Amino acid sequence: MMVSSTASSAPQSPLLDRHTRKKLSAAGQKILILLVMIIVVLPFYVAILYSFRAPGDISANRLAWPTNPTWQNYLRVIFENESFLTGYKNSLINTLPTVLLLMAITSLASWVLARHETPFYNFMYALLTLGLLIPFQCFELPLYINWYNAGLVSTNLGFIIARAGLQISISLTAVTGFIKTVPRDLEQAAMIDGCNRFQCFWRVVFPLMTPINVTQLVLNTLFIWNDYGTSIILLRKKQSFTLTLAQIIYFNENTSMLNEAFAFFIMAMIPILILYLCMQKYIVSGITAGAVKG
Amino acid sequence: MTTPTSAKESKMCNQPSSASAGFMEDFSPAAIKRGVYMDKINMPKRLSSSAARNHIGNMLFLLPTIILFSAVVLIPFIQGIPYSFTNWKSIVSEKREFIGLKNYVYLLKNKYFQESLVVTMKFTILYMLSSNFMGLLLALLIQRSSWFNNIARTVLFLPFTVSVTAGSIVWSYVFTDVYGTLTGLVSPLGMPGQIVYGMVIIGAWRDMGYTMLIYIAALQAVPRDYYEAATMDGAGKWRQFFNVTVPNIVPAFTTNITLLLAWGLRTFDMPMVVARNAKEGQFTAVYVYDSIFSNNKAGLGQAAAIILTIILVVLTQVVTRTLRRMEVEQ
Repeated sequence: MMVSSTASSAPQSPLLDRHTRKKLSAAGQKILILLVMIIVVLPFYVAILYSFRAPGDISANRLAWPTNPTWQNYLRVIFENESFLTGYKNSLINTLPTVLLLMAITSLASWVLARHETPFYNFMYALLTLGLLIPFQCFELPLYINWYNAGLVSTNLGFIIARAGLQISISLTAVTGFIKTVPRDLEQAAMIDGCNRFQCFWRVVFPLMTPINVTQLVLNTLFIWNDYGTSIILLRKKQSFTLTLAQIIYFNENTSMLNEAFAFFIMAMIPILILYLCMQKYIVSGITAGAVKG
Repeated sequence: MTTPTSAKESKMCNQPSSASAGFMEDFSPAAIKRGVYMDKINMPKRLSSSAARNHIGNMLFLLPTIILFSAVVLIPFIQGIPYSFTNWKSIVSEKREFIGLKNYVYLLKNKYFQESLVVTMKFTILYMLSSNFMGLLLALLIQRSSWFNNIARTVLFLPFTVSVTAGSIVWSYVFTDVYGTLTGLVSPLGMPGQIVYGMVIIGAWRDMGYTMLIYIAALQAVPRDYYEAATMDGAGKWRQFFNVTVPNIVPAFTTNITLLLAWGLRTFDMPMVVARNAKEGQFTAVYVYDSIFSNNKAGLGQAAAIILTIILVVLTQVVTRTLRRMEVEQ
């Protein structure tokens, strides 16, 4: 055993034995990963630095921690900038109902689509997932005109309806894929026991869908909270701006007050970062579901 | 055929139908006891009526989704097609005349539109390749679960949770403060000719964590004994990668490549924020937005959007088909 192992490693590297080489390559990999991690975190670090710098602080080293860090930028954004609180309110009012509405309607539709494989339902599935192919740009003009005529532009309701509709295709694919992996036995047993369709859905199917529904709630919150493309078209009045819109406008208007703008960014990110760190497991399972099997 | 039993059966089945119990649940134990359930199997007419009832119930479940999707996506999409054949200018004006294919002809000859397509394609290809390369590399390095690798995964996916707009703005300061200070060079976002590369870096920073997660899931699904067998056959690390790993994770390639192609072609947020006034910031999606909402060329913008849609559909379909064929072959 000893002989064979030294014989095989000898020609490749006469100086180091196999064990040491393996350890070295593992260490090299760790260093590489650490480097990538540093680059990935760098923008967050830069943003935090800016947000704690006092307005006049122009230190030579742009990466050093500020000499006298201050909370003042944060306090100014919260108390003196009304677009911040309005943005927060709008983002919350727009995001929460949208993700709940999506969960309600896609879980109903997905159950039917997953359990019927006839040409008609396959066609419905193909139709409802067309949103994956058509870019938003292709219907932003007619959507805006319809919403304008219905008085829905610059309203929370208008945004909720539009954003839920835009998210249907992605959610439907994920939820339908999940239901197909759940055996039908329980539903059939419930049906034979005399449950009607709604009881069967509410008491049996919906509880079984909890994992995918939580995943979808988290992922959709991420996408809708961070939305920019839809907001810029449908939200045209200052009172209706979400955080994403408000922070860009604040940033463009106040290039001299960079530090406050960065404090704004950090505070807009915090809820989503907390959600990510708490619900990480669900995000990972939501993204990888179905992607591996194709 | 006219045995007493079948006559009895048909009599039994007539009873509930004449009592118009049509909307009662078919599979209730009482119904089964009465023999209604059996009748259903024997009588095609009753079966089709229960199927129709089922169908109505199914449609009730589908209806909210269909209505919402039609209102937001399908109807506007269909409405938009005729707009692209008109000389409609401002969205507030009523004037709108049919001008045939003139918008399309104009766009295909127009220098700015061509440039927008070139810059969009250039960005998309570089962004798709770099995000996939980095995602696969990182996945290979941290595919096993350990405390270090789990922290690495959490950190590497972090950028995806931040909005594209905030991320891009922060990056423009990273380019000037960090990259600029360390190398003494000008930020790529401030240099004409390099702006696209700057945006590719931001795009890859954000989305490599996403592709990484999909690659990790795929790598973990490759059976361990394939590698053991390859090692027994004397295959080195590289041969194992190309002959065992790659063929087994083709579905992950399909997902990641088509997804990032579609995301890249739709790119709108990033150039709007960091390259608004630069020529290279004129992505096709930005061109569409400007034509419709700022330049009073709504009809033209709609035609540009339809060209973008055609490119996106054709490209993603061709790529998906090609990659799917590779999945089937191996």
